[in-house]
Amino acid sequence: MPAVFTVDPRSGVPLYLQIIDQIKRSVALGVLAAGEQLPTVKQLALDLTINPNTVARAYRELERDEVIETAVGRGSFVRDDGTTAFPRAAASDVAAKALLLAVREAKSVGLTSPQVRTLFEAALARWFPEET
Amino acid sequence: MSISIEHLTKRYGTFTAIEDVSIDIPSGSVFGLLGPNGAGKTTTFKCMLGLARPTSGRTRFDGAVLAPAAFQNIAYVAERSVLYEWLRAGDHVEMQRRAFSRFDAGRAKQLMDLFALDPRKRVGSLSKGLRTALSVVLAFSIDPEIMILDEPTSGLDPLNARAVLKLIIEAAARGKTILFSSHQIGQVERAADHIAILQHGKVVLTGPVDDLKAGSKIVEAIFESEAVALGGLGVDHRVSRVEQTGRIVRLTVSADSDSIAQQLSAAGAQSVRVVDLNLEDIFVNAVDPAGVTADVVERV
Repeated sequence: MPAVFTVDPRSGVPLYLQIIDQIKRSVALGVLAAGEQLPTVKQLALDLTINPNTVARAYRELERDEVIETAVGRGSFVRDDGTTAFPRAAASDVAAKALLLAVREAKSVGLTSPQVRTLFEAALARWFPEET
Repeated sequence: MSISIEHLTKRYGTFTAIEDVSIDIPSGSVFGLLGPNGAGKTTTFKCMLGLARPTSGRTRFDGAVLAPAAFQNIAYVAERSVLYEWLRAGDHVEMQRRAFSRFDAGRAKQLMDLFALDPRKRVGSLSKGLRTALSVVLAFSIDPEIMILDEPTSGLDPLNARAVLKLIIEAAARGKTILFSSHQIGQVERAADHIAILQHGKVVLTGPVDDLKAGSKIVEAIFESEAVALGGLGVDHRVSRVEQTGRIVRLTVSADSDSIAQQLSAAGAQSVRVVDLNLEDIFVNAVDPAGVTADVVERV
């Protein structure tokens, strides 16, 4: 288990969502590989000093989102369905969230949609210079 | 074991300590009881355990009212230490061994070491924190199905407080049901999956922590002038609190924050943003909902 998770209980974001985000991010980045075993609910709860039911809820939702699978008596594992489709899905999840937040902020400080588009194009040009 | 507190009321003469307190504690949950000093947390615990006779109402443990045999399965850490000043720490452990058939000597030894408690020391010579630690050791050494912990970290340094939290979490992972109170909201935020907030003897808010956090948001809107238009939101049932400072209006909402933000935008707000609430914000909002300023209400 190379991935190190941290949570911020003081944040307004529910802890189970923080765990889901971090595991999805780790899978998207390949820090957690397909087939890799996750810590048990009890172990992760003790490591993070948070409620075990919270960890269990995060694992249940990750199963529903088909990011991990749990084998009774063996533990929870990152899903390995033989394709690379699903880390990519996790990656676009993470990215979509960040973009939504950025656009909401831009709108709330009073920018118009063409202005936001200009900023977005500038960001694309900066991070994908080879395509411009 | 699940616990169901049903309509508990306790009056001392003309003083009502708690009134119509009803709380459901699911089996295997860690339930945090929050409230300002004097809100009735300790009275609730005492009434649950029969240490004070409720004026009305009852508590059921797995559906049954408390019978003497059930005490083998319940550990209670009292807020005010019930230790004997003149006895040694080790004497208390010995009393626990005699009183509880589930007592685990190895576990007790391990826990005494965890908190660096010397069994030869008399309680009278222990600091407040070490007395709390000794009460915690006694409670956890009988591995009960139900633990009722009144301020189980009071007087402890952060390291030992963290150790108590880990004991609670470890017990919860094994399916034990735990009810605890704490002044430190951060601890409740970590360890609890459900909370109830008591104020003036009444339950003002209860529910799963994650749902309370997910539901409550602050929608902050900035208008062109101080003459703000809330478009009916000042009396909306989803809005629990309205505060205005100059051109800025902050609404505490219990649901639909995004659509309320859009409504404010449509009502002419220059800028609108949605802010997440942590448990402390939710607590303050529950015990002090008097944030509605008269001038805002008049303009709605």
